[in-house]
Order: sequence, then C-alpha cells, then structure tokens
Amino acid sequence: MARKPKSLAAQIDAMKRRWPGFEPTLGLEPQTVVWFGNLRGYERTFRVSVEFGNPMAGSASMCRLMPVVRVLSPSLIMNFDAAEEAPLPHIYFEGPNYKLSPLCLFDPKAGEWDRSMLIANTTIPWAVRWLAAYEIWEATGRWVGGGRHDAHKDANDAA
Amino acid sequence: MNTFTRHPFNPWDTLGERLLASTAVKVELPPSQYAKMVERKAAIEKHLQRDGSPLKDLIRIFYQQGSVAIGATIRAKFRSEGFDIDIIVELLVEGLTPARALDLLYHAVRGEPGSRYHDCIERQTRCITISYADGMHIDLSPAELLDPYDPRKSHIFHSKPDEPRWKDTTILTNSFAFAEYYNDRCPVDQAFAEEFGKRVRASDAQLAVMMKDADSLPVPDHSSVVGGKSAVTVALQLIKRNRNIRWLPRNRRMPASVMLSCLSLEVAASGRTIGENLRVIASHILDRLTAAKRAGKLIHVENPRCQGDCFTDRWPENFGDQDVMISDMKLFLNQLDVLFDEQRSFKERTQVLEAMFGETVGRQVRDEFADEQGFLIRSGKHSVGAAGGVLASPSLVSERPAAKPNTFYGRSWPGSRNR
Repeated sequence: MARKPKSLAAQIDAMKRRWPGFEPTLGLEPQTVVWFGNLRGYERTFRVSVEFGNPMAGSASMCRLMPVVRVLSPSLIMNFDAAEEAPLPHIYFEGPNYKLSPLCLFDPKAGEWDRSMLIANTTIPWAVRWLAAYEIWEATGRWVGGGRHDAHKDANDAA
Repeated sequence: MNTFTRHPFNPWDTLGERLLASTAVKVELPPSQYAKMVERKAAIEKHLQRDGSPLKDLIRIFYQQGSVAIGATIRAKFRSEGFDIDIIVELLVEGLTPARALDLLYHAVRGEPGSRYHDCIERQTRCITISYADGMHIDLSPAELLDPYDPRKSHIFHSKPDEPRWKDTTILTNSFAFAEYYNDRCPVDQAFAEEFGKRVRASDAQLAVMMKDADSLPVPDHSSVVGGKSAVTVALQLIKRNRNIRWLPRNRRMPASVMLSCLSLEVAASGRTIGENLRVIASHILDRLTAAKRAGKLIHVENPRCQGDCFTDRWPENFGDQDVMISDMKLFLNQLDVLFDEQRSFKERTQVLEAMFGETVGRQVRDEFADEQGFLIRSGKHSVGAAGGVLASPSLVSERPAAKPNTFYGRSWPGSRNR
C-alpha cells in the first residue's frame, strides 16, 4: 500500500525543525515553496536553494516532481578535464547557466524518494553528501560518491 | 563566569587537523622500520665486538641520539623508505686524535673484503655512514666520555679527510642528556596519543615484533606503541618535513633538527592539537630568528643540559641563511592559515598541504581521504556535524543521524563518455 504523501505544510514544518537555518519563501508558481539556506560538504559553506511544490495539472516544473536543489554560491566549477564526471558530476544539466543546474540526488527508478518522505530527512542530507563528494571531485577529478547515469535520457527520470 | 573551552585532542577532529595527522603518519618512522633499526643497531654492535675487530672490548656504550632518541624520526624526502638514524659509539680509548678516532671506527665497521658492511659504508666528517638497500642510513659517531660524573658529556670528532689535519677538532656534546630532557618535558595527552598510535599501527603493514638487545642500552620503545606520542613531537616532525622540502632543493646546509627540537620544547605545552602546536612552534622559531636579526646576531641555541653544546654551530652559516629561514617560517604560518580556513575549498587546502609537506605525501593523504570518505558517503555511514557538514573524523559521535543511503543519478554531459 502506498504511503500517504506529506503535505507541503508538513515539509515546511519538518524543515523548520531539523534545518532551522533554512528560510522558506513562496515560489514563483502557485503551491510551490523555495528554501534558501547554507549547507556544508565538509567545512566550506555553500548557499543552496531547495524548490518543491504540489503537483499541478498543466505544469511541467521539475519541482512538482521532486525537490530541486541548486548550489547558488560559491559557484560550482566546471572541469572538462576531470577524469570522471566531467564537466560536473551528477547534475541535471540545465542551461544557460549550467553551474546552477539541479543536483541529481537519488535514483527515481529505484524508488529512493517519494512524496511520503520528508525533504528534511532525505534531500538535505543527500545534498550534504553530494557537496562532500563534489569537494573531493573538485580536488581530484574522481567522483567517490557512487551513483549511476540515466542510459535512456528520459528527462522525467532525471533527479 | 566559568568558560568551558574545547580542546579537540582527537587528531582527526577537523579537516585541517585530519590532513595534518594523516601527513604525520605518512612521514613517521613506522614501528616495523623501527624494529628493523633496532635489529641493525644490535648487529652493528655485535660486529664491532667480533674477534679481530680493532674496537673489540673498546666500546663503553652504544646509544642512539638525535631524532630516534626523542621519537621524532621522519622519512627522508627523496627516498620513500629512507630513514636516517644517529648512533653514538662511546669509545674506551682516550686521547685519540679526531682523524684516528674516525678512521678506527671506519676500519672496525668495514671489516674484511666480503664482510657485511665492507661495501656500504662511507667515512664522513663526523661519523661513519652505513647505507642499506632499503634506504635506511645509520650514522655512527665515535665519542669520548669527558666527565664520568656527568654521564654522557662527551666530545665527538670532526675531521674532514680532504683538509689538513690541523683543522681537525673535537666538539662538545651531550645528546643523551638532551634526549632525556626532551622526553621528560614533552607533554603527552593520552587521548591524542592513543588515537595517533592506532593510526600509525594501522598504516604500517609490516608491523613486526619489536626487538631489544639486552647487551645495549634499551632503545626507546616506539612512541606509537608504548608511552604515547606527544602532539608537540608530531608538530616537530612536520616542521622538520617542511624544512626538508624547503631546503633540500637549495643544496646548502639546513637548520639542524636538534635546534628545531630545542626550540619546540621551549614552548611545549599540553592540550594543544597538532595545528595549534605548529602555529605556536613556528611563531616561536620566527620570533627567535627575528630577535637575533634585530640584534645583528645569528641565532644561538644551546643544549639546556650541557653548557657549550651549541646546536647552531653549523647553521646558520651567515645572515643570508637566517633570513631565508625567517621567510620560510612566515610562509609556513600563512600556509597554515589556508589549511585551516574553513571557507577554502578542499582543493585549495590539499594543494597547500602538498606545498608544505611534499607533493607525493600530500597526494597520498588526499587520495586516502577521498577513498575513505567515498566509502562512508556511498554507504551512508558518515557522521553529520552540527553545522551540517560531513565530519572528517568518522570516529566522532554525530550530532545528527546520517540519512539512508541514496544513489546519485543524472545525465552525462552531451558527448561525454562518462557513464
């Protein structure tokens, strides 16, 4: 039996409790919310945004399918010479500024995330992991965080 | 109001401390090499006492001096397995000239053609060096005891073979007393020592049973196994490593290890991390050098247990040497700031680590950190700190439980071969 989806209010409440430094604001589209806050991979602080919203007929926004995490500052650094995952690791490439592309934090085909799960307990810690692995990738060109790539280029599966 | 200060004794507590501690483990004399050194020392002593040896029954005592005696031996920069070990051979023969003392020891060690050390020894100005295939060097310095009531106050001999004999001389020394003084005063924090020792032993794949020879003075047990390693000594080792990195390419005499040991001890205190010790010691060295420069003098450091035993008799040779070291210490302190700057990227911090302690060691530390952290990230077994970051030290209790494992997903860059 499918678990009951969490409401947007429940997500906001959980974020407030576990990550009080994250400020929620209304998103650009109706029934969406954007949190702005600081996360660390190890010790360096990154400013990130997390966008999420309820499903809405006629809207194809990614944030209505899954939480969308972007690194705002310091900017991600593209490295086309990296031995692995060049030029940026595990993101959903989105132009024109690819450095603001959403992070791909889970495998949607494996059912690792659904609306019954709290962003505060999944997406945010996964973003911390991503940032830690990114710090190492930036230094070594190696992606130590594991993961896989979508072989079929299905835009709806990118996470 | 009482203020509780936090003293992170765990050497892997923060990223900066973690990188320094891992570097220290890499340059440390591992227990297995230490055991090998003990075996070799015993073998040399036995060889010198063999029938037919010019020094049979003429050696009073055979003891290690310098870095080994205080647990501060480090790898040589250009030999991955190289360690330099200093041993004093105290002779019972009195009144030897410097050249005669060094030649006597040289011939006693060298032995007959085909014997063990015949083709791997070299006579130096103050010692005889035995070179081993694995890169270890053992320097044997002949010495004469000067005062039986001030044991081991001695002189060693200085005789350069290609110079006239009138230039030969003797040098007052009491390295034994200095080692005692250092070991008595160097503070050991148990929590630090245990954690550091655990890492040293874990990184030593060839750890063997240490051996002692009952016929000689016991060598100090390896500091990571017995007694505990001082964070001051770890910092000293890193400063010596940095000195090697800076001075070897200059191809000139470098600041003596014993001078650095003595200066480190002048500001030694318990309760400091490796990074804190490095900052305190480097600042102190800089202050001492700068004070000497202001006074128009060269720095003078003397054995606190033996007046006249000068640790700065060969370096600095001139004001130029002193100025170079002043610049080095300023650079070192700036690099330390970068290493501990939390807002710098891991890339910048590991690059400065390479600049401070050598590219090879720095990269090994970086790559081992990457491998360890990769496992923790993939398995979800890492700890998350109060500020939200993955803790560099997996041994610490997490402020928040880590989340369930996830699989990073996504697309490759168009045209990329990454999958």
